[in-house]
Amino acid sequence: MSASASGEPAGKPADTGKTANPVKDSVFSAHDQAREAITYFRPLEERESDYAPLNMRLIRRMFTYTRPYASRRNWLFALTAARGLQLPVLAWLIGQTINGPIAGRNLGGILLYAGVYLALVAAMVVTFHFRQLLALQLGEAVAHDMRSEMFRKLTTLPMSFFNKTKFGRIISRMTSDIDSVRVAVQDVAFVAIVQAVQMTVAALLMAWYNWKLFSLMLLMVPVIWVINQHYRREVSHQLRNLQETWSRLSSTLAESVGGIRVTQAFVRQEINAGFFRKLVNMHGENNVGVAHATAVFLPLLQMKSQLFLGATAFLSGYGALRWQGSLHMEVGDLVMFFFLANFFFDPVQVIGNQYNQALTAMAGGERFFRLIDAVPDWEDAPEATRLMPNHSQGRKTPDSASAGARCEFESVDFEYQPGRPVLSDISFVAEPGQTVALVGHTGSGKTTIVSLLQKFHLPTRGRVLVEGRDLAGVTSDSLHAQMGSVQQNNFLFAGSLLDNIRFARPEASAEEVRSTLRALDCLDLLEALPRGLETQVGERSASLSLGQRQLICFARALLVDPRIVVLDEATSAIDSVTEARLQRALEALLRGRTSFIVAHRLSTIRRADLVLVLEQGRIVERGTHQVLLAAGGVYARLHEEFVRGGAATTGPEFG
Amino acid sequence: MVRAENMPETTSNRAHERRYETGELVRRLLGLAWQFRKDCVQALALGLALLLLALAGLQLLGIVVDVIRHALDPSQRAPAYPFGWTPPASWTPLQAVTVLSLAIVAQALLRAVLTYQYNMVTARLTQGKIVPDLRARLYAKLQRLSFRFFDAHGSSSIFNRVTGDVQNTRLFVDGVVLQGINMLLTLVAYLIFMWRIHPSLTAACLSVTVGLWWVTHYYSGRLRPGYQQNRELYDDLVLLFTESVRGMQTVKGFAAEPHQVRRFERANDRVSDQQRKIFRDLSVFTPATQLLSQLSLVILFAYGGWLYVQGQIPLGGGLVVFAGLLQQFNGQVANITTIANSVQQSFTAARRVFEVLDTPLEVENKPRALVPSRLRGRVAFEGVTFGYLAGENVLQEVSFEAAPGQVIGIFGLTGAGKTTLLSLIPRFYDPQGGRILADGKDLRDLEIDAYRRQIGTVYQESFLFSNTVSANIAFGNPHATREQIERAARVASAHDFILSLPHGYETVLGESGVDLSGGQRQRLALARALLLEPPVLILDDPTASVDPKTEHEIISALREAMGGRTTFVVANRLSLLRRADVILVLEKGRLAHLGRHDDLARKPGPYRETALLQLMDLAEDGDESEPAKLRKRESRETTQPIMNSEARR
Repeated sequence: MSASASGEPAGKPADTGKTANPVKDSVFSAHDQAREAITYFRPLEERESDYAPLNMRLIRRMFTYTRPYASRRNWLFALTAARGLQLPVLAWLIGQTINGPIAGRNLGGILLYAGVYLALVAAMVVTFHFRQLLALQLGEAVAHDMRSEMFRKLTTLPMSFFNKTKFGRIISRMTSDIDSVRVAVQDVAFVAIVQAVQMTVAALLMAWYNWKLFSLMLLMVPVIWVINQHYRREVSHQLRNLQETWSRLSSTLAESVGGIRVTQAFVRQEINAGFFRKLVNMHGENNVGVAHATAVFLPLLQMKSQLFLGATAFLSGYGALRWQGSLHMEVGDLVMFFFLANFFFDPVQVIGNQYNQALTAMAGGERFFRLIDAVPDWEDAPEATRLMPNHSQGRKTPDSASAGARCEFESVDFEYQPGRPVLSDISFVAEPGQTVALVGHTGSGKTTIVSLLQKFHLPTRGRVLVEGRDLAGVTSDSLHAQMGSVQQNNFLFAGSLLDNIRFARPEASAEEVRSTLRALDCLDLLEALPRGLETQVGERSASLSLGQRQLICFARALLVDPRIVVLDEATSAIDSVTEARLQRALEALLRGRTSFIVAHRLSTIRRADLVLVLEQGRIVERGTHQVLLAAGGVYARLHEEFVRGGAATTGPEFG
Repeated sequence: MVRAENMPETTSNRAHERRYETGELVRRLLGLAWQFRKDCVQALALGLALLLLALAGLQLLGIVVDVIRHALDPSQRAPAYPFGWTPPASWTPLQAVTVLSLAIVAQALLRAVLTYQYNMVTARLTQGKIVPDLRARLYAKLQRLSFRFFDAHGSSSIFNRVTGDVQNTRLFVDGVVLQGINMLLTLVAYLIFMWRIHPSLTAACLSVTVGLWWVTHYYSGRLRPGYQQNRELYDDLVLLFTESVRGMQTVKGFAAEPHQVRRFERANDRVSDQQRKIFRDLSVFTPATQLLSQLSLVILFAYGGWLYVQGQIPLGGGLVVFAGLLQQFNGQVANITTIANSVQQSFTAARRVFEVLDTPLEVENKPRALVPSRLRGRVAFEGVTFGYLAGENVLQEVSFEAAPGQVIGIFGLTGAGKTTLLSLIPRFYDPQGGRILADGKDLRDLEIDAYRRQIGTVYQESFLFSNTVSANIAFGNPHATREQIERAARVASAHDFILSLPHGYETVLGESGVDLSGGQRQRLALARALLLEPPVLILDDPTASVDPKTEHEIISALREAMGGRTTFVVANRLSLLRRADVILVLEKGRLAHLGRHDDLARKPGPYRETALLQLMDLAEDGDESEPAKLRKRESRETTQPIMNSEARR
């Protein structure tokens, strides 16, 4: 177990556990000390269980992953059985050699036995080679297939799944859960077989030699089993404590690193250091606690063979020297048992450990299959067909826009959760090539409308139509292939700028990318970076400024030559000069495409063909900017807010 | 983490790595062990005791066998007791056997107890002392290092240094020093005992052991880089997976699912292919070692058996014991390679750990630094020149003075040096040329922490911790009272929205807590900055990434916050700058213009350009001639007083 070796919990410390540790809680319940903490710690976080009971159906299901490798698997079964046989036989042979030719001073016999032994060893080594190779290959193949299936499954699930599932959980399915199933397939079954066969063979041999001595050994077996289980339980309890302090430690550390600027600006170095020292000391204590559990039980278990040998020595002495008749024992039995004893005792422990491993695998397997079996909230209807693109064959350059698509919302209602409507009775038409601006306060439903347009959710009532076709009958990917969107979070993937821009069209050439950037009038800005378009975008795109990220997202959306464009203008991290260039370029690029803009800039709204004013999920006003301003209603009020909040420098005219 | 645009970019983590010689590493690591020498000696003593007990146990068993055989058949060789000790003649063989058996049991019990002791001593030493101590030291040092270090090394590297690298560094003490000495003693002891039984038998069996060692050495040389590569490939796979999940909306939005699946499959295949290479090596290596061990056993029985037949060695005390010793000896040989690997691991880790401990602090207190009383807030730059790298100056000869309570706006295009200028004010770096004064005193003469407490900072995207709202606001002073916290929140216009949160001030922010909007976050950050009622306020583009409505909220909040404090605000939006008493216009590190908004809007240059653009954005419908309006206003310029800080209150 890596835990005791490295002192850290194996795998990712994704979830913490409950603990009823009064000492620890008191340290952190004191008012001041809690205040020093950087992160808030919850002692009772919901936790995924470590163990699940053995379940034949689940086991069978896990083994179906080995079906493509059936021959390998079957060979493996045979080999493990053979191996289980070989080691005790070898030990028996040694015993025989000592008791036979050696004791009998038969040199020829010694050589013969040695020769047989060598032959057996050769066979054993070959067996072992294949057994190990096949097991490892099988395990990796199963893990490979599981990973692949899981990823595919994830891509078919709708966004609602990702919105409601914790990110960390999804990741640990892929990493630790698949791994524990792999270990189960590769090790547990086969190791258990080897051990069981070994134990049986050793038992048979010993019983055959001297069943009285053997019955003595049998007495020890339940003792060992009990001690082993006790030990594992104690260790896992300690491990839970360890995981909890680890979780505190790592979250404090991670946030300290992320918030270093704030830490130094507010002179928190000393306080944080003192608090962290307390944390690492606590964690160290828990580590020692785990070591303690191990240190108590393991020597107890190791003692068994010594104790047994002592008892055997005594008994065989008695048996040989005193007892005659039915209780007579050969001294040779002692020698034999010396070599065979461990083959009998060790499996008890090993099988015990494998059993626990199997329980962990059950839990992991359960979670994995729950994900694989997850029924998506909704799916494209089986009869859904592709939305056909309008333009002719061959890609046009981004300058010549393809004919936009006509979009319509027909009395659409939507609620994320039943009983909490987010949109009510939304109806509008966007003619091909029009620009629709959505305005309203946060929470008025703007993002939801474009979300429905992209078929990330299905409307609760009403229809969303594109080119006259109900989206319910259109395949999602054909729809997305004709849309380009720029969202609020400007998400970029690890890789070069170039790769990110052609994310949706990987086959696009670098020249096409450049011409898109040129059309957006920002090619020079990106080529000015140290490695130009080959600049690597790193961890969370941290090496680029917000403005640069936005530009890349724009280029990405437009490279696909979309008929429908969705744009969320919420962030505006670009400096005004660049922004102006971008606005002008966008104007040209959006011509001909139907665009939906969650608008914040007056210039955008002014140029829109249709402005929809939203309030609490309803369209309260619609029209062009001029018309709405003249109407003096909600929009006019909003407009004044914009203006007031902006850089109005001329005094009295704007009040 | 948003960095200054001019901070030098490093493409690899190795760029700033200090070179450590092996000798120096060994010395420092040994020094680490020396620091805890008492515990080390204790562990070694226990290890030695265990070794002797193990040997004793083996011996006893062998003697029992011989005693019994001798008793049954006096023609057999007499048992050889160690140290020439012979049992009293009055003992029957059975009594001797009984005593010996009891001795074996006693030895087993003693061994169990000492093993427990050994493991506890080692655990307390490593996990209870070395690791926490190293971690605490690293962390304390990290908290004081400059931002430059953090940006150069990336957060996961730094995280790993405190976690995994510390464990691997400590591995040198127990995995290398203790284990190494233990192993050495064990090997020597077993060797001696085997030799005593029969020298040439020992030589014969050990010839195979040498082969065993060689095989182990060879294969770990092959396997180690394989494992390393596999880890990297696996990390890539996990990264791809993680990204796809995080960016699933983007993936779906561009119908890129098939593309991502293909990428994932490729990465998956790469991992599996590489694993198969490792398996091939592994499945040759392990059987090979087994083969060699067994071979030595064969030699033992063939040659040893012959020796027994010749009468040169006893059966129990000879062959059986020898077999046990040989088994143990071979087992230890595998340890040699483990220890060698541990050395490598600990060196790699120690380099990274020592690098943190050795990196010098960017700014340090002068001896007898002055602890300033409450500053009035007069800040001056005198000919300040600064660059992150030698020879590449980001700021050149910047000079200006801010009177107490003034609002200083800082404007400039990307890369002009605005954030850098701001970071010099709390003395995060020292300028190479010129000096910075606070209330007339050079910053280098002031005590750093006391000085920084008088400055409140709000960054572009403020970092809030996953803690309660009140803990976040009280970050600068964990012992702040509820009144103080609420007062700061009120000034920052945050009090009302905080009360509307599910648990008010005790609401927990962060992943499983509440997500706040951009405007709310910035207002919290502002409250945090205001808690200590600092005379100086630094705002680095606080409205950069928010929408105009939120900007409006933040600016109203700022209005009250800035009252009476010397405020430095970097902004691109005129909404903030027009309230400034003085605006510094930076161009490529130099102070190009200095003045009030109206003056600057008239002078040709980037400021005027930006002003025009932003005005156009708000122009009334149809009338594109906002510039015309501006010019119109200029022409009827009156002596309307510009709002200054006093009038704002």
